[in-house]
This record gives sequence, structure tokens and C-alpha cells, in this order.
Amino acid sequence: MPKVTDVLYYLVHVQELRSIIQWKVWHNPVHERDESTESKTLRRCFYFLDQTSRSFSAVIKELNPELLVPICLFYLILRGLDTIEDDMTIKLGEKEPLLREFDNILEKDGWTYNGNGPDETDRQLLVEFDCVITEFVKIKPAYRAIIKDITKKMGDGMADFASNAEYNANGVNKISDYELYCHYVAGLVGEGLTKLFVEAQLANPALLQRPHLHESMGQLLQNVNIIRDVKEDFDDGRRFYPKEVWSKYADSFEDLFKPGNEEAALNCSSEMILIALRRADECLFYLAGLRDQSVFNFCAIPQSMAIATLDLCFRNPDMWKRNVKLTKGHACQLMLDSTQNLQLVCDVFRKHTRSIHQKNTPKDPNFIQISIACGKIEQFIETIFPSQRPDPTLSVKDGRVLSPEEEAKAKKEAQEAKWDIIYMGAAVFGILFFISLFMIFIAYLAGARFDVIYNQLRSGNLARPSAGEAQPILNNYEHQEL
Amino acid sequence: MDSDIPLGHVLVTGGCGFLGHHIVNLLLERDPEVRISVLDLRTTHNRNLNSQVSYYDGDITDYSKTKSLFETLRPDVVIHTASPHFNLSPDILLKVNLDGTKVLLQGAQETGVKAFVYTSSASIIHDGKNLINADERWPLAYAESAVLAANRSDAYPNFLTCAIRPAGIFGEGDVQSVPKMITAYHKGQTKFQIGDNNNLFDFTYVGNVAHAHLLAASALLVTAKMAPQRPLDHETVDGEPFLITNGQPVYFWDFARTIWREAGDKTLPNQVWVLSTDMMWAIGAVLEGIFWVMGKTPNLTRQQAKYSSITRYYNIDKAKRRLGYKPIVDLQEGIRRAVQYIIQEEKKQGEKKAQ
Repeated sequence: MPKVTDVLYYLVHVQELRSIIQWKVWHNPVHERDESTESKTLRRCFYFLDQTSRSFSAVIKELNPELLVPICLFYLILRGLDTIEDDMTIKLGEKEPLLREFDNILEKDGWTYNGNGPDETDRQLLVEFDCVITEFVKIKPAYRAIIKDITKKMGDGMADFASNAEYNANGVNKISDYELYCHYVAGLVGEGLTKLFVEAQLANPALLQRPHLHESMGQLLQNVNIIRDVKEDFDDGRRFYPKEVWSKYADSFEDLFKPGNEEAALNCSSEMILIALRRADECLFYLAGLRDQSVFNFCAIPQSMAIATLDLCFRNPDMWKRNVKLTKGHACQLMLDSTQNLQLVCDVFRKHTRSIHQKNTPKDPNFIQISIACGKIEQFIETIFPSQRPDPTLSVKDGRVLSPEEEAKAKKEAQEAKWDIIYMGAAVFGILFFISLFMIFIAYLAGARFDVIYNQLRSGNLARPSAGEAQPILNNYEHQEL
Repeated sequence: MDSDIPLGHVLVTGGCGFLGHHIVNLLLERDPEVRISVLDLRTTHNRNLNSQVSYYDGDITDYSKTKSLFETLRPDVVIHTASPHFNLSPDILLKVNLDGTKVLLQGAQETGVKAFVYTSSASIIHDGKNLINADERWPLAYAESAVLAANRSDAYPNFLTCAIRPAGIFGEGDVQSVPKMITAYHKGQTKFQIGDNNNLFDFTYVGNVAHAHLLAASALLVTAKMAPQRPLDHETVDGEPFLITNGQPVYFWDFARTIWREAGDKTLPNQVWVLSTDMMWAIGAVLEGIFWVMGKTPNLTRQQAKYSSITRYYNIDKAKRRLGYKPIVDLQEGIRRAVQYIIQEEKKQGEKKAQ
């Protein structure tokens, strides 16, 4: 049953209600998974996918069959790793080797883990992790190698952070640490997915030559999560906002949540949003390199949600008080716009970029930098979808204006060209006229009765008479002649 | 491109102007061996006291005098920034620009100058029109065509030229954009905004424009050195125009607000009156009519109404690729410098008055 508040909300926001209905009624998945061919363990994997991921499971299940299972397993494996990393009840001595060895665990038949605390939401996944392993060893070796490699890198990165005492005590320090953290938990996912797409020939291999693009894809998503969840993380005793940023606005991080510091908090989140915003153009660049519709949808939906969430959080004091979220209607609208083509996704980006820009205020120390970041996104969109081309009506040659002499010459040439056309026209019509006259003359010699035609036309008989009608007319004339 | 190549003897026309004197300063900063000659109509302003710079008064439309100056100086490089005052009528502007440039080209060709860098502009032709992410395919000025046509001409195949098209230059010593905005602030006009402020605009810090000129000059000298070999088409600098901006287009009123903020303004967006462009254009027209009768120009003109709601930004990839150009001063820092300069100047004026 929908909540009363929801009903009231959608009564006022009919447009959003319309988006929900449209999405539910009209959205056709590019591919649908065929459950009948799946093994029991694979079905269990998809069950866990639904359980562990709210936002990703739908898009993953619509993926191209070639990548459907590998990406589902990739997601579950990383979720498993994350569940170990996240759990503060696991001692470092046990946690660190688990993280570092996780890539080998993937091939240990029958491996399960029940060391998670009872409150850990996704603990059941690790309890039954053997079904993931069973399926993992079945996929193509090339995909397996990619997933193992990323798992190793991520596990090591997480272990480094987990064993870093300073980070555990004070949270993230420098902006570079923040970027490194986001790299481990999200940038690497971008790398792995890109390699999978290219391996499956569903993306342009050139994407691998520009690793900063998939890095930006991951960074933007993770940045947005961190920005939005600031209150929730703080309540859980964790802080991902780097000290280098928040220390500009407050002496201690908790001050930012206190009443009276709203302005400082907003400026702090502005800077965080600015860091994320600078990634947006590269994300669009990345999306331009995808070849398969299902892969495009899979990548574009989270990005659209991310830019919309940035817009939602920008200069919104509520995000320091509670967890702010996109409404379901807005999310459906974004999904509709993100499952078609790059141009629509660019429109989504431009819309939210402008909305951020319009909320930007000069009292924010990041004001002009945010303006620059917004401008950069708009300019990038113009580069892929130009709305203007050089004006062809100007007298231009090779991008240069003509000098007055050249212009006079060009004018003279144009004039000559005009007369050429007139002469040609006159010649054509002249010939036609001559041929017509000639034919009429021949017809006259052969005895055509032009006088009859003339008189008939004058009396209004425009239609050609039938043979029966013609004879009396002719007889009439012949009588006269006689 | 190698920007460390010594430029030798550089003649800077308009070297006492806004951009010109920044070029002179940057040249001295970059190359301790450089010799600079400045040719300007009047050389009393913006003089650099360094002994490596010498100043010459002269009119660039006068061929015989310019020619004899070239013969005495024999520069290696000419950086031609001189342009008549923008308030002159377009016809005179064009004539002085074109004739003066032609005289300089001839003088330079006849005295063996190797490289000729011309300061063009990014926005002559498209007056009053939007320019969205425009690049070098968009057409520009007459004088520029003359300069580019002189590159590797039949008579002087070793004479190399190129053109720099800067957009919306501002910075210390600028007499147009920033001072006008500061005046608007002093008059309390920061509470008004014409148009919806979704129009992106390129403003370019003068130091970046000067930097681009030096990059262009060294690139031409490098090209000259490799003769008779010629650079690859996609690396060619000679005979080419280059758009130069800060590479950071911002929304027009955001730029203005940053300047006002830097100057001390405290206006907040919710206190701003947003006025439609069409209405302000009409009001501007009426004001212009009234002021015309009185023989003055109003603060709000049709052109200004249009200008502040126009989109005008450029794609500078070509300069990045071929000149190795990258802005050296960020927009925010440029604004800070420009506004602080004006505040200092106002202070000096105030002290003078107090005395």
C-alpha cells in the first residue's frame, strides 16, 4: 500500500506520477533473462542480487546475455568484499588477510563465511557464498581473469585503508586520500566493467586507452554517495569528507551539523559537489564510447541519477539533517531519459547543470569555480552535439573573411553565374518553343483542324470529346465547307 | 612547442597599450637576454624602466617613417598589438587597422623579419550574435586576412605570420570590462540582471593572452629554423589564426558578480531583479534617444542590453594542440588581480586628491 504522504505528493506532482506510469507501462527491457535455462545456484545468485542492490539489480538483469552473468557475479563478489570491509565487528587481524586473499577465495570451491556481525545486512550473501563461487568458475576465463584482477586490487586497497590507524581514527585527511579511497571502491569497478565491455566487444576499445574516463565514472558515483550520505555516515561514526575540505569551513566536523553553522555546512558541501562536478564531462565522454544499448543503459542510469542527486544536494541544508533522496517519480523520469541515447542523457546533464548554476550564490567561496565547472559541462556537450555551425551566408573562405577586392570579385562571379542560368533557361525554353511550333506546323500540313479546336475551346468544351461526340461536330463543319 | 627559444630582438607595436605592456613585461620575465623595442603612437603610458626596452613614438600608417625605423632596428620578431581606439567609427577603425597592418607587414618583409604575430580579435564580425563553442572556422577580421595572406608569400617565402584571436581580455590596466563593472557597482547597479544568466561567456586574463603571443612567436621561429622543411599540416602554426581564451567559459553575470564581490559587494541572488532582455533593449533605445537630444550616452544602451544576455564562448583546442597553449592564470586569480589593481589605483587617486 502506498503511503498517504506519497499519494498526496503525486497528486501535486502529476508530471512525476506520469513518469512512473510511463516507465512501468512502456519500458521494454533490451534483454530479458531466461530463468528456465538457469541452474539452481545461478538463480540463487540473482536472488542475492535483488537482496543486496536496490538500484543496480534491475539494470543488471537487462544486460546483454553475453555479460549478464559475469556482471551479476562481479557485483556480488564486490558486495561480498564490501560486506567484510564495512563490518566493524570483524577484527583487523582477521579482516586484513580476508580482504587481501579474496581473489583466491573466488576459486575455493564451497567457501562460505559466517563471521559477520548479526546486524550486517548482507551477511547471508557470504553465508551462502559457495553458489557465487560455483557460478564464477563456469564463466569465460577472460572474464574471470578481469574480475579476479580487480578483486585483488580492491581488496588490497581496502586492506590498506583498514589497517591505516590514522584513517580509522580521523577519517579521510587529504583530497588525494579521498580520491584514492574512491578509486579503490568505485574507480576500480569502472576499470573492471570497461574491460568486460571491451572484451565482449560491446564498447569501443579506445576507452581502455583513456583510463581517466572510467575512473571519472566511478569517482562521480562514489563522490555523490559520500556527499549525500554525510549525515547517515556521521551517525554511524564514519566520515569520508576529507579534512582538507571541511577544515576550511569549521574547526571540527561535527560543528557542521550544529544549528547556526548552516552557511558553513552549505559552503562545505558546495566544495564537495564542485569536486564531483568536475568529473561530469568525462562521464559523458565515456558514455559516447559504448556500443550496446543495454550496456549504455546500465552505465547511463546511475550517472543521470548522480547528476540529479548533486543538484538535489546543492545548497540544500536538509542534507546535513537527514538523508535526502530523489523521489520515485523523478527517478523514473531519469530512467526514461537515460535508456535511449546520449543526446537525451546530455540534456539531463545540462538541465541539472543549469539548475545548480541558478542556485549558485556569490557568497559561496566556491562560486566562480562552480560556474566554471558548469560551463565546462555545457561546453563539452556542445562539442559532441554542436548547436551552431559557422554561418554559411557570410562571405567566408577557409575560415577567413574576404578582403573588399575579393568580395567584389566574388560578387561579380555570382552575378555572372546568375546570367549563365538566365541564358541556359532562355535557350531551353527557346528550343521547346521552336519544336512546338514545328510540330504544330507539321500537324497543319497533315490537315489538323485548329479552327475546330479553337471554336470548341471558346465555347467551353475543354474535355476531349469521345469518338461518338466528335463525329456530329465534324459533320457540322464539313457541311459548312460544302 | 618549445617556449624557451630566445626571441632575439622583438618589436612590439602598441607596447604601451593594455595588452602590449603585458607582453613587454612577460618577455622580460621569460627571457633575460631579450631586446625589446616598443612602437606606439604615444609612449608616455605603461613604460617599463628596464634598460632592455626602448620606446619609439610613431604612426604605423606612415610607411616611410615606419620603414626607416625597421631599417634601424632590424627586429627578428614583430608582435603587432596596436589598434586604434575602439570608440572610433568602424570605418576609421578598419582603415587604420588594415592600412597600418599592411605598412607593418611591408616594413617587416623588406627588412628580413622572421616572425610576425598579429593580435586579432575573437569577436569583430559577429556583433550582436551568439557564438556557441565557436572555433577557428568562424570568420573574422580583414586585417587578419592580410596578415595571414602575407605568410610565405611568393616574394618573401621565409616571412612567417600568424594571428592570435583573444576573447574578452581583462586584467590589470584594462580600460573596458572590469572598470565598467566596478563603476556599475559604485552606482549601485548590482541589484539588476538582464536576461536569465544562462549565457556562457569567455573572459580571458591578459597574462594568458600575452603568454599565447610569446608561444606563437617561438613557434614561428622554430618553424623558420626547420626550413626548407615544413611542419606537418596538423602542427602548422604559420599562416594560422588561433583563438585564445582562459578555457573557462562562465555565465556572464557570474563573472560580473565575482568582480562585484571582490570589490566588496554583498548583494545576494534573491535581492536581484531579473529583467528581460527585450524590455531592457527597448528601455535602452528610449534612453539613447533622450540622451542623444542632450548630447550624451546613457549608462544603459541597446548594445549593452544585448551584450549582457548574449552567449559567446569558444573552442581553443587548436591553440592547445599546435601552440601548446594552456592558461597560466586561472579565471578566479585573474579577477582578483584585476579588481585589486583598480582598488589600488582608486586609492592612489584618493591620496593624490587628499594632497
